[in-house]
Amino acid sequence: MTDTAQSRFLRAALPVLALLLGVTVITALVALLGNDEMALTVTEALVRLIVVVGLSVFIGNSGVVSFGHIGFMCIAAYAAAWATCNPMWKQLMLTGLPVFLQQAQYPFWVAVAGGAVLAAVVALLFGAVILRLSGIAASIATFAFLAIVNNVYSNWDSVTAGVSSIIGIPTVVGPWTGLAFALGAIVLAFWFKNSRFGLMLRSTRDDPVAARASGVSIVRVRLAAFVLSAFIVGIGGALYVQFLGVATVDMFYLQLTFITLAMLIIGGMGSVTGAIVGVFAVTVFVEFFRFLEAGVPMGESVLALPEGSQEIALGIGMALILIFRPKGLTGSRELRLPGLGSSRRAMAPALPTTGATARS
Amino acid sequence: MINFAQTFIDALSLGSLYALAALGIGLLFGILRLINFAYGDLITLGAYALIIPSTEAVATLFIGGWPWFMVIIAVAVIVVAAALLSDLLVFRHIRRADPATLMIASFAVSFVIQNVILMFYGSRPKSVDLWSNLNYQIAVGGLRIPLLQIVTILATLVLMGGLTLLLKRTALGIQMRAAAEDFRMARYLGVRGNLVIGLAFAISGVLAAVASLLLLSQTGTLSQTMGVPLMLFAFIATVVGGMGSLIGAATGGFAVAFASVFLQAYLPDDLRPFRDSFVFGIVILMLLFRPAGLVPTKALVERV
Amino acid sequence: MLEVEDLAVSYGGTIALAGVAISVKEREAVCVVGPNGAGKSTLLAAIAGGVPPKRGRIRFDGKDLVGMRAENIARLGISLVPEGRHVFGTLTVEENLFIGTYAMSDRRHAQSDAEQLLGYFPRLKERWRQPAGRLSGGEQQMLVIARALMTRPRLVMVDEPSLGLAPKIVDTVYETLLALRAERGLTLLVNEQSSDRMLKFSERIYVLRNGRILLHGNTADLQDGEAITRAYFGFDEHDISATSEAAA
Repeated sequence: MTDTAQSRFLRAALPVLALLLGVTVITALVALLGNDEMALTVTEALVRLIVVVGLSVFIGNSGVVSFGHIGFMCIAAYAAAWATCNPMWKQLMLTGLPVFLQQAQYPFWVAVAGGAVLAAVVALLFGAVILRLSGIAASIATFAFLAIVNNVYSNWDSVTAGVSSIIGIPTVVGPWTGLAFALGAIVLAFWFKNSRFGLMLRSTRDDPVAARASGVSIVRVRLAAFVLSAFIVGIGGALYVQFLGVATVDMFYLQLTFITLAMLIIGGMGSVTGAIVGVFAVTVFVEFFRFLEAGVPMGESVLALPEGSQEIALGIGMALILIFRPKGLTGSRELRLPGLGSSRRAMAPALPTTGATARS
Repeated sequence: MINFAQTFIDALSLGSLYALAALGIGLLFGILRLINFAYGDLITLGAYALIIPSTEAVATLFIGGWPWFMVIIAVAVIVVAAALLSDLLVFRHIRRADPATLMIASFAVSFVIQNVILMFYGSRPKSVDLWSNLNYQIAVGGLRIPLLQIVTILATLVLMGGLTLLLKRTALGIQMRAAAEDFRMARYLGVRGNLVIGLAFAISGVLAAVASLLLLSQTGTLSQTMGVPLMLFAFIATVVGGMGSLIGAATGGFAVAFASVFLQAYLPDDLRPFRDSFVFGIVILMLLFRPAGLVPTKALVERV
Repeated sequence: MLEVEDLAVSYGGTIALAGVAISVKEREAVCVVGPNGAGKSTLLAAIAGGVPPKRGRIRFDGKDLVGMRAENIARLGISLVPEGRHVFGTLTVEENLFIGTYAMSDRRHAQSDAEQLLGYFPRLKERWRQPAGRLSGGEQQMLVIARALMTRPRLVMVDEPSLGLAPKIVDTVYETLLALRAERGLTLLVNEQSSDRMLKFSERIYVLRNGRILLHGNTADLQDGEAITRAYFGFDEHDISATSEAAA
């Protein structure tokens, strides 16, 4: 097989296209054939997919577990809420908002872009400070970040309505919008993974000493991933509130952190395919349990699982994966299409020629 | 007019509570390299064990109605059992895993415990009267100190003293210290790994039980996530004081409490609600500038 | 006494031992020699129960050790002194010494054992209550050997006793090991990088390289060292001079 740049690109692109197609088909089936409730479920799943894909951009490539990304989701979500909710309500309830936000109502695109960019900027500032820490210390710092965001947003009443919710956000996000952004997120994640930054970052994960000896700046590559992942997660946040119509601080704390991390771990921390598989698996799992909790009529009685079963089952499922298959359902590998030759070879773009020495 | 001495006692009492919880977390980290996110939920579990399972808003005391020493023993037994169970079912099977996996696993355990409590007790916070007579204030000098604070400080001193004796004078304690320093080497010398770990879980369970009872006496409210703030602060305390060192954990507990109480007392009004953020910010500063903690241990090389 | 057959160990994707077989008879002093990364430490660690083998058998007095917990293997009478000393730095010398005895069923001899060992290592007595982390390298090495002997083992495995120590101290260490062997009937299995010592110390030698045994035999038969060098480096001295001549 001739290894021209064109054919290499094609071999790398085909699995990605397959994934995109898969996600689209599933969404289309549910949205077109299912009822309204299922459309809501699939939209929420797509939003979570965006978040988990964003998580994988950082966690998967750097090997550093971040507990704080839902904090970025919160920041972007509230920014979108500020942009799109009713000005009269804002002037009444959110007296601390700056005038340009308080008196106007901005369209969907502005809200999403603004939220994601804000999250990315915060990530840039915070990351520049903490990403020099070692793996565990950085993880602890991200947890502190989540707690700080939660604390600040819960108490800054004049701007966030504190522990109560911001309501009246126009609910413009449905399955197709979610799908469009999800596909974009997947493409971004693959692009980053195979880019210079992605490669260099993964080298720091696999062999930090060698990476540093090759001239890779650990902080810089980590920061690039951190900012991009915050951006993607931010998009998820902005979409989320424009799907729900409300924004509450408590939505973006430990529960959601756990669920998104669970999705990533169960699917496979190190790959974008893992993120997708994880979201799909957990969503199906949770829906199944929700169905059981609602009650299955058996003969004359209704057999129902007690409330809280789905969460417990999810926790148990996650523990089982960590024990028996710590690399997740996909083994942290990307999708490989049969008959296309070695995908590892296909995935590797030209190594950077400046500075870094080629390691065979 | 802010009474410095009053604030000082407040800090001492809060510090005791944090120190207890920090010791529990520090012990597990020292021996297992496990950052146990489920620790706060053990505290919550201990408190809920006092009442009869129901979803009512007003709780009926079950164990909570027994004489005080029996309450302590019963709650301790339940919490220790839960802690040992979490090791047996989950942590034992991932002994060789990296710290990140251990952390996430403890996150999963935490999630499960919280939702089991939810299943049996409902999500509404409940009010419980446990030893509320301890809130009686006694006058010492010009100060009015709640009896509970004195009890907290004394209980912590007793437990810390007991723990020190255990670790320094008993064969098991010395084995635990050896295992905390070099687990593999200790096993090569015949130290039973699972025994030492089980003991660590048990001791941390006892500490959690006591912290739970003290917390409940103070707040009078049961909620699903009542243990989480305490765990967060205890966790911060171990980072600030020095992970892997028990003296560090206790020191960190007092340091964090003092920072928290004095910030509360001296911060301007409008910044006061963000006091916790300042405390969390201190963690980040510690990680950046003194990652070994306030009390550096020689044993720590690349722990954090 | 110790029979290792077809032992294979890997760490993730890297193969450390690719089918190793050694045997040690009672009261023997056997050396395993090889360059860095050969797998010597892995071999001892596998016997002691510190790493799980992928395949192979390890028999001690006929009992299969594979799958046993390290602490139980220690109880059977095998003591490992790993590379890099590994004292418990925050414990005192006294606590270090007795640590192995707490798990023993019969502790009555502990005190007299300690006194006897202190006779071999008087410096430890001077530092009895000091934290072990403050001892010098040589003192620590003596401490870990004494500590390993407190568990009354029958087989003592030492991983690179000479690493990082002054030659004179290393001599003392080896003399002590041999004296203790004579006195207590110990069996010794030692990893070494230096071929000199090993020739003086052991009765039999295994040469390990890249996870395989390349050579083994009695020390007496291998005195000139050439065969060992060849196995150790993959070529012998004559080849080296030939290459440098060609390059010149």
